[in-house]
Amino acid sequence: MNASALKIGTSHPRGDAVAKAAGTERYAADLYPQGCLWAGAVRSHQACGRIISIDTTAAAALPGVVKVLTAADVVASNRQGIIHKDMPVLCDDLVRYCGDPLALVLAETKEALQRGMSAVQLQLEPLPGLFDLDSALAADAPLIHEDKPGNLLAQASICKGTGLDGFDACSVVVEGSFSTPVQAHAFLETESGVARLEEDGGLLMEVSTQSPFRDRFEISHALGIPWGKIRIVAPSLGGGFGGKDGATVQCLLGLAAQHADGRWVRMQWDREESFKAGYKRHACRMEYKLGAAADGTLQALHAKLWYDTGAYAHLGAEVMELGMEHAGGPYRIPHTLIEGWCVYTNNPTAGAMRAFGVCQATFGFESMMDLLAAKLGMDPLELRLKNALVRGDENCAGMRLTTSTGIKTCLEQLQQHPFWQDREVWKAASPAYKKRGIGLASVFNAAGYGGGVRDAATAKIELTPEGTFLIHNAVTDMGQGNSSAFLQIAGHILSQDASRVLLKQPDTRTAYPSGSSSAGRTTYTFGKALITATEELKARLLNWAGMILFLQDNDGLELQPGRVLHQPSQKEVSLVALAGYMQPEERVCLGQYVAPTCKEVPPTAKGFFIGFPHVIFGYGAHLVRLEVDSLTGQLTVCDYLAVTDGGRVLNPGMFDQQVQGGVAQGLGYALMEDFTVRDGVVKTPDFATYLIPGSLDIPEIISIAAQGEPEETGPFGMKGIGEVAMNGPLPAVANAVADACGVRLCHGPLTPQRVLAGVKG
Amino acid sequence: MWATMTQCTDRCKRQISFPVTIEELFAVQEQQPEARIMAGGTDLLVALRHGPQDTRPIICLERIEELRRIDELPDNSVSIGAAVTFGSIVRSPLLKARYSLLTQAASTVGGPAIRNMASIGGNIVTASPAADSLPALYLLDAQLELRSTTGSRTMAIAEFMLGPRRTLLQPGEIISRIILPPAQDWSIQLFEKVGRRKSLAIAVASLAAMLRLAADGTVVEARFAWGSVGPTVLRCPAAEALLKGQPLSEAVLTEAAALVQDAVSPIDDIRASADYRRTVAGNLLLRLVA
Repeated sequence: MNASALKIGTSHPRGDAVAKAAGTERYAADLYPQGCLWAGAVRSHQACGRIISIDTTAAAALPGVVKVLTAADVVASNRQGIIHKDMPVLCDDLVRYCGDPLALVLAETKEALQRGMSAVQLQLEPLPGLFDLDSALAADAPLIHEDKPGNLLAQASICKGTGLDGFDACSVVVEGSFSTPVQAHAFLETESGVARLEEDGGLLMEVSTQSPFRDRFEISHALGIPWGKIRIVAPSLGGGFGGKDGATVQCLLGLAAQHADGRWVRMQWDREESFKAGYKRHACRMEYKLGAAADGTLQALHAKLWYDTGAYAHLGAEVMELGMEHAGGPYRIPHTLIEGWCVYTNNPTAGAMRAFGVCQATFGFESMMDLLAAKLGMDPLELRLKNALVRGDENCAGMRLTTSTGIKTCLEQLQQHPFWQDREVWKAASPAYKKRGIGLASVFNAAGYGGGVRDAATAKIELTPEGTFLIHNAVTDMGQGNSSAFLQIAGHILSQDASRVLLKQPDTRTAYPSGSSSAGRTTYTFGKALITATEELKARLLNWAGMILFLQDNDGLELQPGRVLHQPSQKEVSLVALAGYMQPEERVCLGQYVAPTCKEVPPTAKGFFIGFPHVIFGYGAHLVRLEVDSLTGQLTVCDYLAVTDGGRVLNPGMFDQQVQGGVAQGLGYALMEDFTVRDGVVKTPDFATYLIPGSLDIPEIISIAAQGEPEETGPFGMKGIGEVAMNGPLPAVANAVADACGVRLCHGPLTPQRVLAGVKG
Repeated sequence: MWATMTQCTDRCKRQISFPVTIEELFAVQEQQPEARIMAGGTDLLVALRHGPQDTRPIICLERIEELRRIDELPDNSVSIGAAVTFGSIVRSPLLKARYSLLTQAASTVGGPAIRNMASIGGNIVTASPAADSLPALYLLDAQLELRSTTGSRTMAIAEFMLGPRRTLLQPGEIISRIILPPAQDWSIQLFEKVGRRKSLAIAVASLAAMLRLAADGTVVEARFAWGSVGPTVLRCPAAEALLKGQPLSEAVLTEAAALVQDAVSPIDDIRASADYRRTVAGNLLLRLVA
């Protein structure tokens, strides 16, 4: 009878698979409340300018247009932002990027909205814009934000050992300069939501968000609604990848609701608006210098990273800081100096995205490792193995690793794979006008918020009167599958099959603050809290069953699907019956968890606001086999192998999906994704110009779980791997191109044009 | 009477008709001279998304059976209706057996869903420099049948195309059929499209090539056409002439490639630089010996 119970460590189908395959899953973008108003933002066509006037008279007079709002209608701070509140809901003085919102139109229909938006008269005085790092950092550059001298959102450094003096003892030193492009999240469901004011003056919003609980603070700060009166409901997301971490439509929608007389208001950005106004991955410029002893032992690193954060902060400083913390790769390096600058420009705003600042630095570092191996005449895998971190080592940021550290295991498993063992044979068989190459990358990615931030969750599970279990999820499921993991965790502990464990997506009224769905923390932190809650509920059920069956203790009692059974006597109590005996509050259990933080913060980092250091990391060893077409420069990725250390695997199928999704998105970043902005204007406004990979561009991705240690702190020994796979493809592909044709490409993406230019010399 | 007058709510008040014969089509057109003709809509609907103020009527070709047929004619030429989709072209055994160049080109259009909507006539009328079917149609000496209320005329495709988005199509006229002359015996038919990804990509450069080789392997006749490297399809007679009588070798093709690189006039855009397109246009010839 236990055969059908959900079990940790097995590949159960996702809980949302049927609804999503059948198209019945309801996303925020599917909501069209009866009689709702439509809201849309009128956006700046200037990248930098001063507002002379916004004339709303003509627009407001149009039939079907209900209200036209400007900054003057915002009663509170009119500033949003997760940490740095520098982003106006509606601009009041300056516009800082092409797309900055200036007015908000409410209308009865989508068509009236379009007419109203076109009729708003904007008068802007253009000011000179800053569109690249050099002009923004120039001594005489105008300030994008008056309170940020030098146009620096953040400037920080990590210095470990003797810093640059470490180069003195190096026998071999290599240097390189790299850059990475802006990447768009390109989720299927664009930013969207609905909202209305409730009779008590509270705000109800159902919205596509990764951070329902924190959104309340952003909205409250910007619009003056007490956060306790804001209720956010977060259905499944049609993709997030970091782009829905923090307010997108939320403050605009809240403002619209404040002026809608209690009617529902709907806002959905179209693709072009999403590309223009949504957050992006930071473009990054890097300078690297890496030194080693003659035997390949790494000695010293100097890395300089500049991140273009665009017009507003979002999480730019934290993105830079995480990139810096990973800038030396998963290796032992005794002496490091890592410097970072996060720079305001008049480009679209950059913010959180999967592998948050890390995939940029990984391109630099893993390219350097191959350059170093070549200079040493050493096998690139041997060089990586030799320097790979093990538990007890200090990482490049000076943090001593006390948790599971599986990079060496990943590399060793990769080494045993036929793709590595047979590499020379495979390469030698390349067809005419093609050159084959094999590239490696070893990657890591921190999990959790990091030092200085409470990384906590409160889980809630209840036994329903129908005898099923309902989990109140509090961390959004953006498609990564955390809700399925929660079903599996609860089903495993309670020995229930899939039909008896249900899940409600986040609602700030019925669930409890548990942080954002981000940072590889979602399943980890909430999962730990859920284990506590579920075990308490299990104990209550056994106790009740024991009382009903007149048993002196729990010996021989076990939960089975739908019932509690006393094995020796074969007597049972159904869960429906138990639910009837129990008081409503007794059927509900809460559990809490606070993720571990570093107790002895190394004194290596300066200029970090929060988020340093991290204590848990996922690791991966990646290998790509590809062909370079020497006539066209086109790359064909033939095979991809990713060995990943995520501690113990809860669901092998979903583990592989996470890795494959990360690799596919990483291959897009490596091969073609290039969000292009010239003079502040987006040149890739849609999917005809901003290319993401299709099925033919992505090979079979082989995912192997490292046979390493479980992560003792995590739920059933797991740790987050949602981001780590994203880091590998760009450096692995670059290394494979170099292996194939001797061309070292240092600027992403690795387009046919760049490859061919390299081949031609 | 034709099925007609669907409209899409408040949004556009646009009249849309579905004539079932060409005669009906012309009758609608007479009433709505400003109407746009739509086959698969894969170009037109994208354009309308960016120009919502355009509320001109649309006349759809999808129910006109005559325009959706692939027929062999008595003289062994083959007629392809203008509204035939690239999906149908790819799946046609007749075309694959006789004009594999066109089949290869058609299979590079968009992805499966686009191919099942996009028509060959639309590809011609849109007259994009990057149109995937055009280089093949040039080499196959395709003739276009143009119809209007006053009758029909036939014209070689190369004559019809004037430049980007410009053709000799007259107001009130449609392309009804594309006629491929009787197939000849070619030793090699090769089409290659270079895009920024492996499907759903606009050509950065493309090459159609047909060669007839003698028993000893020397070239008897070579025909080449390039897409996306000039305002319209580019031919390079000098390169074709150079190959004549020569063995098909890397050395000869490299020489021909240099001539091509002089002849093309590509542009810089978001997809690729002119320099890249020029280099690739020449290099693609070497695929003939790959």
